[in-house]
Amino acid sequence: MSDATAGGTGTQSWDALARAAGTKPAPRAELRRELLLLGIGDDLYALPVERVREIVRSRDLTPLPRVPAAVRGVISLRGEVLQVIDLRRRLGLPEGSGLAPRRQRIVVLHTAEAQLAGLWVDRVSQVMRVLESQMISPNTGQGELVEALCPLDERFVSLLDVDRLLDLDQE
Amino acid sequence: MAARRKAPRARTKAAREFVSEVEEILERLRSDLADLADERARGALDPERTNRLFRSAHTLKGLSGMFGLDEVTQLAHHLEDILDGLRLGRLGPDAPALDLLDESVEWIASLLTQLGEAGALDAPPQGLQQLIDRIREKLEASPRPATSTSLAGLEESVLRALTEYEEHRLHENLRLGRCLLLVEQSFPMLAFEEGLAELTRAVRDAGEVISTLPAPGGSPEAEIRFSLLAASELDDPAARVRLEVPQAEVRVLREAAGGTPAAGASSAERSATPPPPSPAAPAELESLKSISDTVRVDIRKLDEVMNLVGELVIQRGALGALATRLRADPATARAGAELAGLHKHIDRKLQDLQAGVLEARMVPMRQVFEKLSRVVRRLRRDSGKEVKLEIRGGDTELDKLLVEELVDPLMHVVRNAFDHAIETPDERSAAGKPREGCIRLEAFQRGHHVVVRVSDDGRGIDTDAILARAIADGSVGTDAHLSRKEVLDLVFQPGLSTSAEVSATSGRGVGMDIVRENAAALGGSVGIESEPGAGTSISLTLPITLAIIQALAVRVGSQRFAVPLTSVLETLQISPAEIQHSQGRELLRLRGEPLWLRRVHAEFELPPPAPDANLAVVVVALGDARVGLLVDQLEEQQDAVIKPIQGPIGSVRGIAGATDLGARGTVLVMDVAALAEDTLRRREVA
Repeated sequence: MSDATAGGTGTQSWDALARAAGTKPAPRAELRRELLLLGIGDDLYALPVERVREIVRSRDLTPLPRVPAAVRGVISLRGEVLQVIDLRRRLGLPEGSGLAPRRQRIVVLHTAEAQLAGLWVDRVSQVMRVLESQMISPNTGQGELVEALCPLDERFVSLLDVDRLLDLDQE
Repeated sequence: MAARRKAPRARTKAAREFVSEVEEILERLRSDLADLADERARGALDPERTNRLFRSAHTLKGLSGMFGLDEVTQLAHHLEDILDGLRLGRLGPDAPALDLLDESVEWIASLLTQLGEAGALDAPPQGLQQLIDRIREKLEASPRPATSTSLAGLEESVLRALTEYEEHRLHENLRLGRCLLLVEQSFPMLAFEEGLAELTRAVRDAGEVISTLPAPGGSPEAEIRFSLLAASELDDPAARVRLEVPQAEVRVLREAAGGTPAAGASSAERSATPPPPSPAAPAELESLKSISDTVRVDIRKLDEVMNLVGELVIQRGALGALATRLRADPATARAGAELAGLHKHIDRKLQDLQAGVLEARMVPMRQVFEKLSRVVRRLRRDSGKEVKLEIRGGDTELDKLLVEELVDPLMHVVRNAFDHAIETPDERSAAGKPREGCIRLEAFQRGHHVVVRVSDDGRGIDTDAILARAIADGSVGTDAHLSRKEVLDLVFQPGLSTSAEVSATSGRGVGMDIVRENAAALGGSVGIESEPGAGTSISLTLPITLAIIQALAVRVGSQRFAVPLTSVLETLQISPAEIQHSQGRELLRLRGEPLWLRRVHAEFELPPPAPDANLAVVVVALGDARVGLLVDQLEEQQDAVIKPIQGPIGSVRGIAGATDLGARGTVLVMDVAALAEDTLRRREVA
C-alpha cells in the first residue's frame, strides 16, 4: 500500500480522515467490511478490498477502438493485457481539471469472470473498516453503481458495486 | 476464502489428469481397433495387439473404478470381456464383435464427455443397458471352441502346461499353417534372466513365442533349462534361430504350410494374403521398466513456458537497443560492442529455446487422420459404398491446439467427399473407373505452413450446376462472366451452402463456408481444385503454430498495430492517386485484378492521414480471396506473443488481442480475417 500513498501532499486532511476511520475500535460481534478508499475530485469512493488485486501507478494506455468511452484503453501488466475503465467517465462525471497526475492510480480488480480489469482513479488513500450496520442504502433504485453510503465523520463515502461498475453492456 | 477456493481447484486438477489419461487410453483403443479391423480383413490378428487392447480396457476399468464412474467401469468391464474372448479365441473376430467393440469405446467417450460437462450423470443413459445386453448375448452365444490336443511331436507334459491363451495361440498358428518350433537352452541358475531374454528376443525375431516353460529333464544342479514353443511363417526359422543363438537346441515340430487347420479353430475368415510378421514385443523380463519414455504435459503449462519465452524475446530486444546506444557514444563504445556480442549470443540461444518449446507443442497429423479413418469406416459400414482411404504424411507435425481445431472442418470435408463426391459402384464402373472409390488424406510442410489435403477420385464438381444455382438465388448476376476458378470459389459462399440438391448433383458438399471460416480463424486458408469426372481436392493451409507469431508493425494515425505475418500476402506502397472507386467503394488495380481496400483508420475511428500522403497497403488473404488494408505506414517485423485482452468488454471485432512489444508498449493485434471478411461482405451487399 506504500505505493498507493506515496507522492503528493495536497489532501492531507483527507488522508487523516481516512486513518481516523480505520482505527476506530469496533465491537467484535458485528460484521465489518474492509474498503479501499479512493477519490475522484473531492468525492470519496470505496471498493471492497477483496475485489482489489493491486494498485499500480498510472501509465500510458493503448486506446482500444470500437468500445464505450468509459474504456480508457489497455495496459500490459506482467504479461497480462487488461482493459482500464475511467471511473470518472463511468460515473458520468465531468472531465476533471487541475488534477495531480502523479497521484493518479490504476486499481486492478478481479472481475466476476475471473479476469482482470483496471480502474483509473484520481487518487487512492488506504483501507478503512466499516461496520455493516453503519452502511446506509442509497435507495436510488436499480442499476445504481453505488451499493451503500458509509458515514465518515461529517461526510459520506460511496461504496461502489464492482460488478455493476464493470458491466458496460448497458452503455 | 482462499481455503474455500482451493478444494475445488484440487479436485478439478485430479479430474483433469484423469480425463487426459482416459483420453489417451481411448485414443490407443481406437487406433488399435482400427488396426484390428484391417488385420481381420487380412485374416490374421496380431496377438500382441489383442493383448494390448485387453490391457487398455483393463486400465480403463481400474481408473474409472477409482473415480467411482460406475457406468464407465461397467462398460469397460464388458469391453474387457469381449477382448478376453478374442484373445483366448473363444470369440471369433467377426463384424458384430468388432462393432460391439467400436460402440463400447464410443459410448465410453460420450459418457466421459457428459461427465465432464455436467459433473455427474443423472440417470443411466438410454441404450447403454441394451448395448451391455448385446455384449452378454454375444459372449454367451460363442461357446468355447473344442480344442484337440493331439499334436504330433509335442510332449503331453508341455501341452498340459499351456495356459488357455497359449493353447489358443498354438491352434491359431497351426490354423494359419505356420512352422512350429521348440527351442531349448540351459542357463546358469544364478543369471538365467539375461540369457533367457536374449533367447526370447532371437526367437521373436523369427516369429511368435507361444509359451516359455522350464524344460523337463535332468540338467545339472546349477543350471536351469527353458523350452520355448514358437511359431513362425519364415521358410526356415530354425536356421535363423540357430544362427542367432548357436547354443540353443532347435527342433522343428511341424513344417510350415504343411499344417492343416486345426479342428474347431477360430471362425475368422482365411485369406490368401499372408499376414505381416508380428512386431517384436518387449520381452516379459523387461516388463517392469516403463514401456514409454514420453511425458504427458498439460498444454497450459506449455503455454506458460511459451509466454515466458515471449517475454524473454522482448527483453532481448531491449538489450539490443541498449547495445546500439552504447556503441554510438565513443565513451562507451567498447562496452557497447561487448554487450552487442553478448546480445547476439543470447539471441541465438533464445531462438533455440523458442524452437524447442514450439517443438514440444507439436503433434503428428496422424492423430487427426486416425479419427478421420474411423469416420470413413463407419460411413462405409452404414452406406455400403466401396471407398478406400489412403493416408500420407501422418508424421507431419502441427501445433496441438491447431490439430484440435482441425478435426471438425476436416471431418466435414471427408464426409462431403464420401457422401457426395464418390459415385456408387455401378456409376463408377459405367464411367470406366474402379468400383472402389478412393479418398486420400495427406499432410506436408511448406515453409512455415502445413498443407492438409483431402482429395477424392469422384465425379468432380459440376461448375454449371453451381453457377445455375448461384444465379437462381441471385448471388451472381445473369450476365456475370466467371472463370471456372471463380465459380469453384462460390462453393465457399454462405448462401450456397444450404442447398442439398446442388450437393447431390454437383458432387460438392454442404457447409464449405464453415470450413473456410474455421481455417481463417486459425490464420489459414482453403483452396479447391476440381476436374469433372476425375475428382476434387480441397487443401487447408495453416501456420505451424499460433503461439509465437511474426508480426508486422503498422502505424495508423498515432497508433501502432501488429498484423500477423502469416496472413500477409504482400505489402505495397501507393500514392492516393492510385486508388479507384466503384459504387463508392475503394479498390486498387493489382496486376490486372481488382483488390478491394479497407481503410483501417475509418474502421477504428482514428485520425485520417493527410489527403496527399503516401499510403501503405497490407494485402491479406481470406481463403482464396484477397483484401487490401490501408494503413499510414509500415514499420518493422517482430516476434510477438498474442495475449487475450481481459476486462469487461468481451471482444472487439477486428482486434484479435494485444502484444507487449517492450519499449514500443502494448500494441493491438489486428484480426485480419474479420476485417477482410467485413470488406468482402460489404462488397456482396453493394
